[in-house]
Amino acid sequence: MAHPDKLQNGSLWQRQLAQFRALAVDWLLISLMLLMVDFLVIAFSGRRGPTGMLVTPEEVLDLLHYGWVLSAALILALAWQASRQVVGPSPGQSLVLGVREEKHVPWTRTLRGWFGALLIELTIFTGWLITEVQLVTFLTQFNKASDIVRGLLHPSSSILHQGLVLLVQTVFLAFMATAFAIPLAFSLSFFAARNLTRGSRFSRAMYTLVRAGMNFTRAVEPLVWALIFISWVGIGPFAGVLALWVHSVAALIKLYSEQVENIDHGPMDAITATGASTLQVLRYGVVPQVIPPFLSFTIYRWDINVRMSTIIGFVGGGGIGYILKPRVDLGQWGEVGTLVLLIAATVWIMDILSARIRERIV
Amino acid sequence: MTAPQRAAVSSGAELAVQVKGVSKVFPNGIQALDNVDLEVHDGEFLVVIGLSGSGKSTLLRCINRLETPTAGRIWVAGREATGAEGAELRRLRTDIGMIFQQFNLVKRHTVLSNVLSGCLGQTSLASSLFLRFTDEERDRAQACLDRVGLGDRGGSRADALSGGQQQRVAIARALMQQPRLILADEPVASLDPALRHSVMRHIEALNREEGMTVMCTLHDIDLIDRYATRVVALRDGKLVFEGQPESFDGETFRQIYGEDAEPTSGPAG
Repeated sequence: MAHPDKLQNGSLWQRQLAQFRALAVDWLLISLMLLMVDFLVIAFSGRRGPTGMLVTPEEVLDLLHYGWVLSAALILALAWQASRQVVGPSPGQSLVLGVREEKHVPWTRTLRGWFGALLIELTIFTGWLITEVQLVTFLTQFNKASDIVRGLLHPSSSILHQGLVLLVQTVFLAFMATAFAIPLAFSLSFFAARNLTRGSRFSRAMYTLVRAGMNFTRAVEPLVWALIFISWVGIGPFAGVLALWVHSVAALIKLYSEQVENIDHGPMDAITATGASTLQVLRYGVVPQVIPPFLSFTIYRWDINVRMSTIIGFVGGGGIGYILKPRVDLGQWGEVGTLVLLIAATVWIMDILSARIRERIV
Repeated sequence: MTAPQRAAVSSGAELAVQVKGVSKVFPNGIQALDNVDLEVHDGEFLVVIGLSGSGKSTLLRCINRLETPTAGRIWVAGREATGAEGAELRRLRTDIGMIFQQFNLVKRHTVLSNVLSGCLGQTSLASSLFLRFTDEERDRAQACLDRVGLGDRGGSRADALSGGQQQRVAIARALMQQPRLILADEPVASLDPALRHSVMRHIEALNREEGMTVMCTLHDIDLIDRYATRVVALRDGKLVFEGQPESFDGETFRQIYGEDAEPTSGPAG
């Protein structure tokens, strides 16, 4: 660890902030553990909900004693930190402050080790209940899905022609979305790179702005973007292009800017030293270094867009997904099988091609 | 030419660089320079020595403002470098060429394009963004390449050249810039010892034939003897020695580098 003991370093204010963060971490972890214990106690208590049935996991989440648990956890966290000499450092003290045991002891002999192990076990057990895992059903009820699987394995040729036509549309849809995304992502990626935006107040503000915009855009599912653009420009491949375009811009900014952050700063220094302006430094000191990885990521993005455009088509964004959705709804599994095979073949070919091209470039 | 003769040329001449009370503390708290005062005369070949981390590079990088000093003032040819911003700073930088230990060429560009980048501070912005230069600029870049003996390599990619050749391209780039001052930061430290003189001779030519003032950081004692007109030494960011290369002996060497150090010299090449 870089700063083995933050208790001794830094100003008084920094030390107090670190102490506070350590307490917050302890409080959070102990609260989580107590909440999961509370969850299991209620779930197995045989309590019945308003309908007279046993309570469901969702209902249990509403029944937890949050106030009591948080208060108790805070007291326990404070107690652990106070009795550090006796029971060893708390998780917060070791994670945030870097406090070590007095002597090296295996985790099985420290309170912290037992606490961590119990936390992981409780999480798996609680997760099992919350996601309603049913192993027996999974292992015995395959026959209910056999119709679908049989259909997928016996593709029908009736839809082959239409599928091929829309497959061409899908590949072009993904290509146009990628192509439109390049110029915008290219110019914005320099503002999203930490190493180029330390200079002025303006560039630091742009960094924050571009990063925030990028993360928001990426967080919204392409499916949601598709619905927005279908309302905007109508059902069809163009709405799909726009939806994938927005998502690709954000994704490419992230990939591009990481490459910009990894460049060798030497050529930048050399160009700056000639009296060149910022744009010239970018053009000569940065761009030549990032062109090959940029190309590689762009081709990879096209590959991803082909896969994504299938789902975009489900809601009306054009491409092969558009005819896949009604077949799924009507249970025409043979035709679904044809389309799935077509998509799989395309994705496979795109994957091989893009890997080959990227190998050559880098 | 012997060193005293060259010293006579510089005495009384205009100051190429004046450094007054310069300190530099990096954000991580490391003090690279501690109240350094230094005067560099026009036409000098000043060699700066000192251990790695003694502040040599930082001193050079403060002069063309790749770093900004945290205290003190610097003048280059009478113009103040500290405090210069924007267009004024870029104009100042066009008068200062820089040569780096790692050459810092644009590896994927051609050798000629790298030399041409030396005049970026003096050319039109729009055409330079499309890598376009005038015929006059191209002829001049070719002449600079001829000067360093690489006239036939203009079309090669920069990273296809050997280390010594790349450093000569970097010298041609500095020559293209037509500066009055050259800052050379360990120009031969990453080169095979046998190639050191071939690069140093070209830097010496900038000094003698073009009349450019040179500030150069070096390690090898025989290179210092051969090229320097004056030597200054830094230790822990402070200026601890200033004198002629002749007065620089094993005793002063150990004062600068510490008791355990032995003078090194690459084989004469």
